[in-house]
Amino acid sequence: MAELPVPAAAATPRERLRRLPRPSLLAVSAGILLLLVVLVLAAPLVARYDPNEQDPAIAFAGSSWDHWFGTDDLGRDLFARVLYGGRLTLLIAGGAVVVAFLLGTTWGFLAALRRGIVDELLMRTADALMAIPQLLFALVCISAFGASTVNLALVIGVLLAPTTARMARTVALQEMSRDYYAAAVAYGARRRRLLLSELLPNTVALLAVQAAINAASAMILEASLSFVGLGIQPPDASWGTLLKEGYQFLYQRWGYAVFPALAILLTIWMLNVVADQLGTSSNRGRA
Amino acid sequence: MSRYVIIRVATSLLLLVATSVIVFAVLRALPGDPVITRLGSTQGVSQETIDRLREQLGLDRSVVSQYLDWVGGLLHGDFGSSYFSQYSVTTLIGQRIGTTLELTILSVGLAVVLAVPTAVVAALRPGGWVDRAISALSSLGMAFPPFVAAIFLLIVFSVQLGWLPARGWVPLSEDVGENLRHLVLPSAALAAVAAPLIVRYLRAELIEALEQPYVRTAEGKGATRGRVVLHHALRNALLPALTSVGLIFGYTLGGAVLVEYVFGLPGLGSLAVESALRRDYAVLQTVTLLLCAGFILTTLAVDLASRWLDPRLRTVRADG
Repeated sequence: MAELPVPAAAATPRERLRRLPRPSLLAVSAGILLLLVVLVLAAPLVARYDPNEQDPAIAFAGSSWDHWFGTDDLGRDLFARVLYGGRLTLLIAGGAVVVAFLLGTTWGFLAALRRGIVDELLMRTADALMAIPQLLFALVCISAFGASTVNLALVIGVLLAPTTARMARTVALQEMSRDYYAAAVAYGARRRRLLLSELLPNTVALLAVQAAINAASAMILEASLSFVGLGIQPPDASWGTLLKEGYQFLYQRWGYAVFPALAILLTIWMLNVVADQLGTSSNRGRA
Repeated sequence: MSRYVIIRVATSLLLLVATSVIVFAVLRALPGDPVITRLGSTQGVSQETIDRLREQLGLDRSVVSQYLDWVGGLLHGDFGSSYFSQYSVTTLIGQRIGTTLELTILSVGLAVVLAVPTAVVAALRPGGWVDRAISALSSLGMAFPPFVAAIFLLIVFSVQLGWLPARGWVPLSEDVGENLRHLVLPSAALAAVAAPLIVRYLRAELIEALEQPYVRTAEGKGATRGRVVLHHALRNALLPALTSVGLIFGYTLGGAVLVEYVFGLPGLGSLAVESALRRDYAVLQTVTLLLCAGFILTTLAVDLASRWLDPRLRTVRADG
């Protein structure tokens, strides 16, 4: 968010050259994310063990050639469990991002198009929702509606919608002040056309930034909920569930907690970097 | 000025009312019934007993009157009684609120102490290798959910080195030293995540301040670089950065929920988690609202304080 506006006049060729590696940072982080997604989706091909296959004889084994991440309290292969766990995490985060996008853009665009009292009402509701700490709100919702994969994706998506709505409204208002939009209004385009053919395509880059931020937040929320036992329930395991289990056995084998924690951390970090880089590049395009 | 204050306070109050309605509505929209949950394992409970319990807890009345009862009670300092424990919600919260306040204040303080010098060093040579190293480090720091940072700290300092306690709590009134020993890791975990946010914000403000004409004037008059940064730029950059501290306070309050849980600290956050797991809505809704109030009031206080401290903000009166 706090990237500095680069003063245009000061850009000597040498400085411009120094700024060149920036796009590659985006490529690297996006590449790592893609690799993670592929690994997780291809879990049955990559993992050499069944994630639920128990072997008490080798419980709490350290990392080895056979078990890259070692084993857990029941002797299950942790590498396989992290890969398969990633599928649930990915599913919930992906679902939440879609829900937040659909709900948030509708919410924000509607506020921008209608203005007046509708705008006021919609945005004040967003303010109120955003004043509730996300995790607590998630705890309230999940303890009310119960923890299931669908509920988790829905609740997290709804929680992320107000921020998305705010962003969508801001970018929509920006676009609406431009000439092409005025032209479309002037020649009598219908509201539906204005929304889908004019506003949406022109705001999609900034909404993508929001989607990356949302994906990171969704992963944190899912991990937090599963960590306290209000998310994915054993024997199924998301990264958050694995972290919870590892946390319970810290003194037996601390590596158990480290691997799911690293998986969560790496994904969130890369998502943040992607959001950051996308944000600055689309801002630069605008300036 | 005073008109702005009135409007700002009124909006905050409205916001608080709105959040209370939302929290209450969500908790009543649910399929789970706390009475049934509470009796879950008990066999052969008659319908009469269930009805009596529902009546005791006020669950048989209309949702609106339940809401008004709750809010009316809150205004009188009566938070109702827990569905599960024999203590009143007021007592439960009273036992826990001190821990959360101490943890949050220590964490934000630690974050500020870490962040200000770091931001100054980074802003001295923007784009230099020190600045880039700090940027990379803070980008990593921001990726940590506080409870994950807590687990890493726990592994290193409790499990491996055995320097600091992994769980437990000693009240401040009993033993100050022990109390702080139990808070080192939790506040470090929260500060590790909050500090990068402050660094980012303050660094940007500092660099902007260093480009202002008054900095050039000071340099022209022969002030040293250190004096220019500390006396001229930092003083002007700190005020806008203060706004971010309000945000960070809220963020820390949210992060504290799980950090308390990880370290077994008896705070509001672990109370919220315990009540969520037991479906003790009476406690959960009040704790949630209390933390919302904490967040809304901090934002309000920071807004008003920075307006009072920074006369430049008052001149933009038109949109107040």
